[in-house]
Amino acid sequence: MSFSTLLPGQPIPVSRGPAPQLGGGTYQRDGQIRASVVGIPQFQGSTLSITRIRPNPPAPNSVILGTVTRLSPLQANISITVVDGVPLPAGEEFSGVIRVQDVRATEKDKVKIADCFHGGDVVKGVVISLGDARSYYVTTARNDLGVIFATSEAGAAMQPVSWQEMRCPKTGKIEKRKCAKPEGM
Amino acid sequence: MSHWQTNFDRRRINGPEESFPPVYDEEEDQDVFEQQWKEGQPRLGRGPREIRPIYFRPGFISQANGSAYIETEKTKIACAVYGPRQSKSTTYNEKGKLNVEVKFTPFSCKRRRAPMRDAEDRPIATQIHQALLSSVRLELLPKSSIDIFVTIIENDGIEGCIAAGSIAASAALADAGIEMFGLVVSCSAAMVGKEIWLDPTEDEAKAATATFVCAGMPALGTITSLWQNGRLTPQESVQCLEACQERSTDIHLVVAHGLLESVDSSDG
Repeated sequence: MSFSTLLPGQPIPVSRGPAPQLGGGTYQRDGQIRASVVGIPQFQGSTLSITRIRPNPPAPNSVILGTVTRLSPLQANISITVVDGVPLPAGEEFSGVIRVQDVRATEKDKVKIADCFHGGDVVKGVVISLGDARSYYVTTARNDLGVIFATSEAGAAMQPVSWQEMRCPKTGKIEKRKCAKPEGM
Repeated sequence: MSHWQTNFDRRRINGPEESFPPVYDEEEDQDVFEQQWKEGQPRLGRGPREIRPIYFRPGFISQANGSAYIETEKTKIACAVYGPRQSKSTTYNEKGKLNVEVKFTPFSCKRRRAPMRDAEDRPIATQIHQALLSSVRLELLPKSSIDIFVTIIENDGIEGCIAAGSIAASAALADAGIEMFGLVVSCSAAMVGKEIWLDPTEDEAKAATATFVCAGMPALGTITSLWQNGRLTPQESVQCLEACQERSTDIHLVVAHGLLESVDSSDG
């Protein structure tokens, strides 16, 4: 069934039968399903939603990219710049925090933040929760999460060697980071 | 005309402290309304229930998440929406915050206004905020804030500004992709003598005994805010409300057309 572009508040024409599950961009009031944004309703499986490629604030379970801004023995503060593949507008970053217990899945109590992140590293993480008023809580405790880009002391972009180490191509020096597993490996 | 104390603005290049306006020939169409219209006469230029034609265009500010421009003869309003972005407040908010800021340009009114914000901006911002508040799904945006900036480029009556500002703000929110229950549309009215005149100009509103602004969501058939100024009996209030409701479908059509056109042109 092809739909035309709907405006917020307009009812979505659905065929008779069981009510579909409602995804983003739709809501139900008085038994009538209506659009919540400007767009074309689509069925993704059995979920009816209206999507639009636009920057969204982080939500639990969204994949984010952020830059490390501040380090402390208990947490790493990051500035979230990309949410679910959509970059946020410049200047409108959200702030997130990776607590020491969320850095990796094993040996959580033996984590040293300085061996996992350095300032300026680009980190891929997943939002755990809304956190507190100032930051979202982010985790990197998965093989494909962690540092994806870092600059060495010599100033070159480092290459990951293992999940704990990165190597500078200029000097050959090894620096410790919690690396993300590159895709396709 | 020339004050003793100077309004010295350090951020700008100020003119001479004492100045006099240039002398013009007597303008012919100055205060046309005051000269030509007398109490008891019918409305000049249009019917009592006619609203001025609306020009509406969304998405004209590329830097903002959403924007809308609305123009009805001498009322010109631009609106920009930024957000949802991280709320600056230190308390945890389960629902998002909606901030509305209104600014008059110095050349918007008959007398030049100072470029800084003053007391007249705040009530307009409050009224636009109230018109929009129940239409936005703020519960989906915890810890975030949506900032709406309304710039009044030309002002022909406060009621017209509030109504047009609410329409522009709601359309800008739709343009930004922020989830809403429905589009908000607003209409103003004035009670002149025993007649209800819709969409009054500044002169018409000055001659009125009461003014009325109502905002609602025609898609859902609900009202989001009602403001009344002056003296109206309850029956007259209800009549104003019904008159505004009749026109809101027409206004909604203009806004809908503008939004759909901008979506089509951005996809193509």
